[in-house]
Amino acid sequence: MRKLLLLVLIPFLLLPGRIQAQGDATSYLDSLERKYSGLKDYTVDVLVHFDIEGFKAPDMQAKLYWKVPDKMKIESKRVFFLPKEGGFFNPSLFKKEDFEIKLLEHLTYENRKAVKLKLTPKKTKRMTQDVVLTIDTDRNLIKEMNISSFEGREVKALIQYAKFNDFELPTRIELHLDIPFNESRGIRDFDQSAQKTKRVTGKVEITYSNYRVNSGLRDETFKQTESPLSREGY
Amino acid sequence: MNLLWFEMVKTFSRWRTYIGFGFIALVVILTEVVMKLSAGEIVYRMMKSLQKDFLIFGNILNGWFVTTFIMNSLHIHIPFLIALVAGDMVSGEATSGTVRLLLIRPPSRYNIIAAKYVTALFYTAGLVIFLGLMCILPGLALFGSGDLILHHYGKFGLVFIPEVEIPLRMLFAFMAAVWSMTVVASIAFLLSTLVENSIGPIIGTMVVVIVFLVIGNFPFDFFHSLKPYLFTTYMVFWQRFLDDPIPWQEIARSAAFLGLHSIGLFFIASVAYGRKDIKS
Repeated sequence: MRKLLLLVLIPFLLLPGRIQAQGDATSYLDSLERKYSGLKDYTVDVLVHFDIEGFKAPDMQAKLYWKVPDKMKIESKRVFFLPKEGGFFNPSLFKKEDFEIKLLEHLTYENRKAVKLKLTPKKTKRMTQDVVLTIDTDRNLIKEMNISSFEGREVKALIQYAKFNDFELPTRIELHLDIPFNESRGIRDFDQSAQKTKRVTGKVEITYSNYRVNSGLRDETFKQTESPLSREGY
Repeated sequence: MNLLWFEMVKTFSRWRTYIGFGFIALVVILTEVVMKLSAGEIVYRMMKSLQKDFLIFGNILNGWFVTTFIMNSLHIHIPFLIALVAGDMVSGEATSGTVRLLLIRPPSRYNIIAAKYVTALFYTAGLVIFLGLMCILPGLALFGSGDLILHHYGKFGLVFIPEVEIPLRMLFAFMAAVWSMTVVASIAFLLSTLVENSIGPIIGTMVVVIVFLVIGNFPFDFFHSLKPYLFTTYMVFWQRFLDDPIPWQEIARSAAFLGLHSIGLFFIASVAYGRKDIKS
């Protein structure tokens, strides 16, 4: 009888601790949100360098415009590719109400106090399964992102910051891609078992310079003639 | 030289010669208009696998992309248009009953066959150059210029060719396409010397091209081992000029293989014509 009582009581005894942990985890995202609440818009020059197997592209340059909450525009004279996951800095990307947040561990990252949070989207938008953030809690900065998708796509982003007009903004994002790809050889692949999923790995280095912060970008700036490929969903 | 001029005038005064040019003009313009109207859908299909990972900005669907797209789509059909004229070069004389009149003139049979062959090659080059101009000029007018982004179907990755490099690469690609098509012209020409009506060489050439293409693409090891010996394997070597880096060794090997085919086929055709017993 006592054992049964204990079994019933244990979950109730542990629940406050669990709620406490959940609350702590949320507080880190709150701190991030507060830190960037004054950031209304920015303009930055972007340089993208690709080092991906089979991806023979030169370095690409563009000007990136961003405005709260999630307006983004790219201005480039030439063709420009930007990684979808972690390609640009959007402080309102991780809203606490959009994710189930779990504190994974406290750690030391680059000699500073840090935490690792696991964010699972409440709505499975864009096939993101979960995101693991490493947050420098001394400076309230996301230093590392590990994004995994249901399709087996793994993206790791390492972020370096510098201060511009009181805001610490990325100067370099290094993306490590590990993505699955079903390679088809057309007519020769009538045997479906021959179409093995290949994993493509590589690195994308994105360098940001010449930030202009809170310059009062108008909404009209983002009404561009869209390239058929720049729309969400393509 | 007079003989060559005479053959040129004869060939280019036939309405049949212009079927190929008309077909190309019609198909290319139609394709470009349709591509203009459904630009988003076409590029989406082409870049589908990359769009999972990248946001893509800029004018990808430009005149150069359209040219490459049409070239990739039409390189199977152009041999038929070439066979239409090259397959009629010699047998056409027999059909129209002018062969004896031609052979009683002073020039030797070898000079006559050489003039006819050069005329067939001239037509082949003209047709491919016309295709190039029809793709590039309206393509650039309708879609503008820009960097060429090529993504091979079923493969991850892409080739990015800067805008400044494209005209020269396209020139080489079209020269390579002309070189490839001379083999088709040579087959049609050889068959034309062996028979006395034009339908046989035209159909025969297409049968050879189609059978070789099918053999080369069959998913069996036996056929796969034959692939290096089929001229159709090397016919698409124009695409290599749009690779990065350009595989010059592979291009040289393909060009030599195709060149030897053309020389061999012309040699057989001239020997066959030289020994031919003209009975009608």
